[in-house]
Amino acid sequence: MKQRILSAALAAAFLAAPAAALAQDTDLAKRVEQLAAELEKVKAELAAQRAQAAAAPAQPVQAAQPVQPAVTAPAAAAAAAPAAALASDTVFSGYGEVNYNHPVRNASGAQTDLRRAVIGIQHRFDEKTKVVAEFEWEHAIASAEDSGESAIEQMYVEREFNNGLRGKAGLFLMPVGLLNQNHEPTAYYGVERNFVETAIIPTTWREAGIGLSGEFGDGFTWDTGLTTGFDLTKWDPASGEGRESPLGAIHQEGQLAKSRNLAVHGALNWRGVPGLLVGGSVFTGEAGHKTPDFAGNDARVTMAELHTRYTPGAWDLSALWAYGRISNTEALNATFVGNPTPVPSSFAGWYLQAAYKLWQNADYALTPFARFESFNTARTYAQVPAGLGVPTAPYERVGTVGANLMIGQGVVLKADYQKFREDKTLDRVNLGVGFAY
Amino acid sequence: MRYVPLTVLAACAVTAPAFATQYLSPEQAEKLMFPEADAFRPHPLALDTAQMRQVEQASGLPTRSAQWRVVGAYKGDTLLGYMVLDDVIGKFELISYAVGLNPDATVRQVEILAYRESHGSEIRLPAWRRQFVGKSARSGDLRIGAGINNISGATLSCTHVTDGVRRIAAVAQVALAR
Repeated sequence: MKQRILSAALAAAFLAAPAAALAQDTDLAKRVEQLAAELEKVKAELAAQRAQAAAAPAQPVQAAQPVQPAVTAPAAAAAAAPAAALASDTVFSGYGEVNYNHPVRNASGAQTDLRRAVIGIQHRFDEKTKVVAEFEWEHAIASAEDSGESAIEQMYVEREFNNGLRGKAGLFLMPVGLLNQNHEPTAYYGVERNFVETAIIPTTWREAGIGLSGEFGDGFTWDTGLTTGFDLTKWDPASGEGRESPLGAIHQEGQLAKSRNLAVHGALNWRGVPGLLVGGSVFTGEAGHKTPDFAGNDARVTMAELHTRYTPGAWDLSALWAYGRISNTEALNATFVGNPTPVPSSFAGWYLQAAYKLWQNADYALTPFARFESFNTARTYAQVPAGLGVPTAPYERVGTVGANLMIGQGVVLKADYQKFREDKTLDRVNLGVGFAY
Repeated sequence: MRYVPLTVLAACAVTAPAFATQYLSPEQAEKLMFPEADAFRPHPLALDTAQMRQVEQASGLPTRSAQWRVVGAYKGDTLLGYMVLDDVIGKFELISYAVGLNPDATVRQVEILAYRESHGSEIRLPAWRRQFVGKSARSGDLRIGAGINNISGATLSCTHVTDGVRRIAAVAQVALAR
């Protein structure tokens, strides 16, 4: 009897087990549903709180506009989320490139170089105040025995004022040309940066000082500032550096920069038609710094340029003209007689470039381009007594054809061929890889 | 004489016209997009997995989120369209923008609510934003270089906003269009 009862109980237990498990499952499902509902409620509360927070900074703007009907406020407020909360206050960025140059008439001159590696840090203190810094290493290794260098490319604080103007102070890039402020390898065509914007405009050209930017409306933006300028006492008439880039040879880059003479700059750009940019800039400042026993104290460096870029559809067309002048160099050049590189009184250049996005899929975009440049780093010299001068340089004309292959938005492979009209020994094939993020 | 530039800079800073980084509130944007509307109602949108897949196919971009901030604009009981709020990263910083859509999921208007980058605020220009009007995820021309022209010096901001608008147009086509 006992056995029967036991077996019946066991059988009942076995039979009941799935039913109990089912009951438990149902219970669990209910609890999950409850939890989900509670989560939704918490989410809704959080969204409402965020909407309130987001609505708060918008109020000053609202005040300047016609008052909205009360019924509109809750709808948009409920839909709005705090944009600022999604972004980090501190953003890291970087870019770099490795280039290979192969002179076609001098294979032994072939060279591979980690041209530059740059780390950028931007930190936002509040909605209107931030600091931007870029740290750069060129040519892979910087030490006493190596030819690399390490530099701070930019470091400035920027504040936006209530009237929409942006003021900055520190070391910043001059608003000059097409390349100087947009110099990441993904932003330009060709393995090497163009000659006009390296030999005539000394990209990446930065000065220490203060700057102000704003808008006129209708697509006009302007920049102006008061900064350090060039230091003509650095000119070395015995080296060829001044022939490569007159301003590159005397720039100060915020390094114990002589500041007896300051420089002013102004730039105006118009982007009123989608795809079109037309602009120009002027920079001027004395470069002698009242240095004792220096013959070039009255010298003034002036740089002016005009640029345009038009990107209709798959085309990317650009043109730039730049003209530099160093005035009052007669007395200084008289002290350089016998040297190969006196100070030029003018240098200039221009280029035309056309690129066409030939092919694109989700991951890759192939853009062939052609560029023609003409530039002269020693266009004229101030007059010196007959027989003591150095002949002016001819205009070098360089044709470049090649292609950029973008991989996603941040990586670029480049290949091009450059033909030099004057110094044909420089003709070369270039390959490069670059990235920017 | 030496201090003239400094004086000019200071004068500019004091006398310039008034506007700020936050250009529009969502309420102002919806009123700009649908001036004839007399009511705006939240229309929270949650996409299911199948819809998210359709959005990815239509836009060629990851859907990024299942939840979308949508407001419906009404005149009486008639639906005039929707406004979708979104943020994208420009180069380093967030751009907050709103896309106005007609009931048939074509773009009605694009407004930039907040722009925080140092360069490229020209994406606020009406001429640039007008390029989006009338286009849809179906028309295939909501792309930089194919229907939308770039702004020089603001390539990343233009690309990311254009991608964002295309994604929203696809969301509208999949989940809102009538």
